Amino acid sequence: MSTNEIASPANVIGSKKRLPPEVSILGVLIGIAIVFEILGWIFVGDSFLANKQRLSIIILQVSVIGIIAVGVTQVIITAGVDLSSGSVVGLAAMVAASLAQTSANPRAVYPALTDMSPIWAILAGLGVGLLAGTVNGSLIARTKIPPFIATLGMMVSARGLAKWYTLGQPVALLDDSFTWFGKSFNILGFPLPLPVIVFLLVAVIFHIALTYTRYGKFTYAIGANPQAARVSGINIGGHLVKVYAIAGLLSGLAGVMTAARAASGQPGMGVAYELDAIAAAVIGGTSLSGGVGRITGTVIGTIILGVLTSGFTFLKVGAYYQEIIKGIIIVAAVIIDQHRQNKRKKA
Amino acid sequence: MKKFLLGAAISALMAGSAFAGDVGVSMANSDTFLTVLRKGIEKSAADASQPVVIEIADDDVNKQLSQVQNFIAAKVDAIIVNPVDTSATGPMTKLANDAGIPIVYVNREPIDVGALGAKGAFVGSNEVDSGTLETKEVCRILKEAGKTEAGILIMVGDLANQAAVMRTKDIHDVNAGSECGVKLNVIDEQTAGWDPVKAQDLMTNWIAAGHKPDAVISNNDNMAIGAINAMKAAGWDMKDVIVAGVDATQEALAYMKAGDLDVTVFQNAAAQGGGAVETAMKLAKGEAVTSPVWVPFELVTPANMDQYTTKN
Repeated sequence: MSTNEIASPANVIGSKKRLPPEVSILGVLIGIAIVFEILGWIFVGDSFLANKQRLSIIILQVSVIGIIAVGVTQVIITAGVDLSSGSVVGLAAMVAASLAQTSANPRAVYPALTDMSPIWAILAGLGVGLLAGTVNGSLIARTKIPPFIATLGMMVSARGLAKWYTLGQPVALLDDSFTWFGKSFNILGFPLPLPVIVFLLVAVIFHIALTYTRYGKFTYAIGANPQAARVSGINIGGHLVKVYAIAGLLSGLAGVMTAARAASGQPGMGVAYELDAIAAAVIGGTSLSGGVGRITGTVIGTIILGVLTSGFTFLKVGAYYQEIIKGIIIVAAVIIDQHRQNKRKKA
Repeated sequence: MKKFLLGAAISALMAGSAFAGDVGVSMANSDTFLTVLRKGIEKSAADASQPVVIEIADDDVNKQLSQVQNFIAAKVDAIIVNPVDTSATGPMTKLANDAGIPIVYVNREPIDVGALGAKGAFVGSNEVDSGTLETKEVCRILKEAGKTEAGILIMVGDLANQAAVMRTKDIHDVNAGSECGVKLNVIDEQTAGWDPVKAQDLMTNWIAAGHKPDAVISNNDNMAIGAINAMKAAGWDMKDVIVAGVDATQEALAYMKAGDLDVTVFQNAAAQGGGAVETAMKLAKGEAVTSPVWVPFELVTPANMDQYTTKN
């Protein structure tokens, strides 16, 4: 099996005859859900899946991770990595929250800027993310330093900025018009939280962008074979700036949603989110060596993380054991997925 | 130009240097709580006209050790350490003892608390009290409501953190002893890593699992607030559930005022800072100090919350 064979973008985009690769990871997701369902009837005497509230929380609790993972997937497809997502979430949450405070707060960050329209807070949060992502991309494109190092620097600095912004103080008492963006709505009796809608919308947009546009073709081409991409006239540096800027923008959006959900901004928000996002992308079939990956797979990978969290709480698995088991399941899911894909290739 | 900048940078660094007669302070980091504590140190030092030099160790054990070594080299009168790692205080205690310089640990209890020597002390609050005060108040409210048995959910902080482990143990200890008066049945006990969003998700998962607790006892206010937000989103009446936290943050007091949070516990960071300066000055003068010096936790309820709105 040569690397070129998997990495060729034509294989990923062009093949319509075979089943899409994420069918096997969907099988893993369904398998895990069925295991929880069976264990539920045995140990708890209740159904895991036949519960609207649980189905809603399964996606809600990972929708912020999912929004980041959509951006991270694109970065990984270019054979890069973004370690700064979690810190950018923290910084964007702080900046957005500081512009969404009510005048009822005697110690608002900006006493003159309270009770404003939530649009400013959201734009500021998105702007912070976009800026951080653009800096990441420019550093990588201009100085040619490895993405690991460039985004590691941003991870440390953005977290520092988030703490410095209010000297470690949390930003509390946010306006209802802002926290509305973290709330749930009942649609036909089904609780549908806004973060979930935003996550799915973001996923659809970037699925289309990656599959059907020139932006997507360039992204796969750069990750699969940068030399070939350069020879065929793609401005690699310029395109990388775009990809990292989008990843940053989505981290900023994730920060805004986090602050809205918690109704506060805290400098420690989003710690280690980048690792969950990378895990979601990799579980979903994105290859860390670049050129391979689909948003649909990442969405399934994200939902697997949510099913694990809800399933463990449902079965009352002790807190210490949860993390141990979660790590094993993440690795096992990827092994099963790869094993099946290899078998299908040989057949 | 370059030399000028270098010179400026060096003199900026020198501004933090300690001299004899000072009290050297090394703080673990500058989060919300430790910032209040640091301000307590600065204020009581200013009140006593005692010069202090404050360094931040950024949660780095080695950096803190170097800071202490620098203080000793500068022959300061006393050293105050807010340890990064409570199990790594031995070397710092030894360095200070060997140099004959008093060392005072503050807020986080060092592992060698019983062997700090005549010129060593610990100033802090007893973590056994925080969870105990919190749980006893929950018991009192439950008893007042005429309950003899109650289902509780426990939200645990970061599992690697001593305060999380201790406060959770306190809940079980109060329940096992005769002090509660109400039988608490622990429905479930899970971690939410001190985080309000994780706590919100955990609570929603519990609600989906059909749990109907009489009380939610959380290791801190941040998680208690997350639980409250989840219960409100599920349409629960907050009068039916007792929610308890620890820290008495501004945000928590706002939730208490709204009638959502019932119990919290105040850890007096500023008083700990003041106590540390006082103890350091006493030791520097050669006076004896009984270590540990406890600064009590204080129970905060809707009845007395007004006293605390300006403290944290």
